[in-house]
Amino acid sequence: MIALGLEGSANKIGIGLISHPSSNKPPIVLSNLRHTYVSPPGEGFLPKDTAIHHRAWVVRLIKQAVRQAGVKIEDIDCICYTKGPGMGAPLQSVAVAARTLSLLWGKPLVGVNHCVGHIEMGRAITNASNPVVLYVSGGNTQVIAYSAQRYRIFGETLDIAIGNCIDRFARTLMIPNDPFPGYNVEQLAKKGKNLVDIPYAVKGMDCSFSGILAAADILAHSTNEALPDGKRLKTEDGEIVTREDLCFSLQETVFAMLVEITERAMAHVGSKQVLVVGGVGSNERLQQMMGMMARDRGGTVFATDERFCIDNGIMIAHAGLLEYKTGITTSLEDSTCTQRFRTDEVFVGWRD
Amino acid sequence: MTPNVTFAHISLSDADSGHLKNRKSAAMAESKDAADEFPCRLTLNIPFPTPRLASTALRAIAVDRELSPLVRRSFSLVSAAEQDSESTEQNVLCVEYTASTNRSLRVAVNGFFESIGVVVSVMKELDVDVAYGPVEGGLDGVQGLQGVEG
Repeated sequence: MIALGLEGSANKIGIGLISHPSSNKPPIVLSNLRHTYVSPPGEGFLPKDTAIHHRAWVVRLIKQAVRQAGVKIEDIDCICYTKGPGMGAPLQSVAVAARTLSLLWGKPLVGVNHCVGHIEMGRAITNASNPVVLYVSGGNTQVIAYSAQRYRIFGETLDIAIGNCIDRFARTLMIPNDPFPGYNVEQLAKKGKNLVDIPYAVKGMDCSFSGILAAADILAHSTNEALPDGKRLKTEDGEIVTREDLCFSLQETVFAMLVEITERAMAHVGSKQVLVVGGVGSNERLQQMMGMMARDRGGTVFATDERFCIDNGIMIAHAGLLEYKTGITTSLEDSTCTQRFRTDEVFVGWRD
Repeated sequence: MTPNVTFAHISLSDADSGHLKNRKSAAMAESKDAADEFPCRLTLNIPFPTPRLASTALRAIAVDRELSPLVRRSFSLVSAAEQDSESTEQNVLCVEYTASTNRSLRVAVNGFFESIGVVVSVMKELDVDVAYGPVEGGLDGVQGLQGVEG
């Protein structure tokens, strides 16, 4: 069976076609296209502009994706789109295209939960059997474990997502957003040496980032190179603290928090596997720190590359097709979008 | 078939216009109340080449409810009355907006045009008879591109 997936919950619009060959063969990615709306340094992306971007790109991306996949309309079984969670206007702009296509082509719609899309794609690519899932991106931060047909949220952010914290910190330092701000923060962090004290906010199974962002923003002002030497932030040894040091310190702090809550979930669930999904999962330092923790517990970390851990249409097609094969479709009247869509609201009928 | 949206018949009116003529008194009282609450009105008539396309557009757009409580919207399919043709094909999408302020009317109608723009471009590029044609608009910055044989 073949599914078309349309994803547009944040600033990336992703279109993908996936094939699930009959029997237990692994899924085949037929095409996976993505275009990112990159805002200028110091700015984030707003819903209205993001929606304009998605409307401008959705049609040609679908056309090119179908072309690359080498399939005909008759071959496609269903049209999957991101129902939520995410930003309202961008979600809706893609949903309108999905609905129109569904009516023109005569194909059923499947509304997909964005988080479940990430999880299912991670499982398919890495073949992790039953991992604790760390879903970390600009919009979401959740620790998830599967139990009885639901992806249960064991821990999550109490306020903003970790990626949002890093992205907004990047704005304060006017770090460029191309290809994505977290990538540039990671490259700067590799050159950082001094660990600056930043608040650490784990609360049981959950974590909180807004206070950390506030503290980091305040520190950022005293790393301004235009300031006289006496006013610059310094370490205990009198070394001047640089932007690289701050990026390094922020990453070390927030990633350590993630490692702690992930380890706590692993202990609760008795799992030895960690699957990291979501855009922040592409960060090599996070993968390294998670790997150290997992090895200490006799376990392993699974991660995917940027094609799949950053928002994409293939994960929507994949999760949607899994759902479609259990007999679920979304009627036209129900094919709305919603900014809040809990991961555990989805009935995972395709797993035992 | 390319839907022609450049010719969209639009009519604006305030509360006390000829819209209230020729109605029964009960309905007239009702619509007078509605007219008082939502005095700013706009009617759009968007012709499509076929009834199938007009109905597709209606069904795709009607799913999202109107966000503002200050705005009311209703859809219908009508036939092109302007032309002197015999055709009774219902290939015109008629949208009636009423709103309590001009600003909310403008915002709602702008949003409608953005959505109908997506619908029309999907029809233009991806309908069953055109979906395999050349890709328009450029693909700069797209990740995942691969050469296509043939």
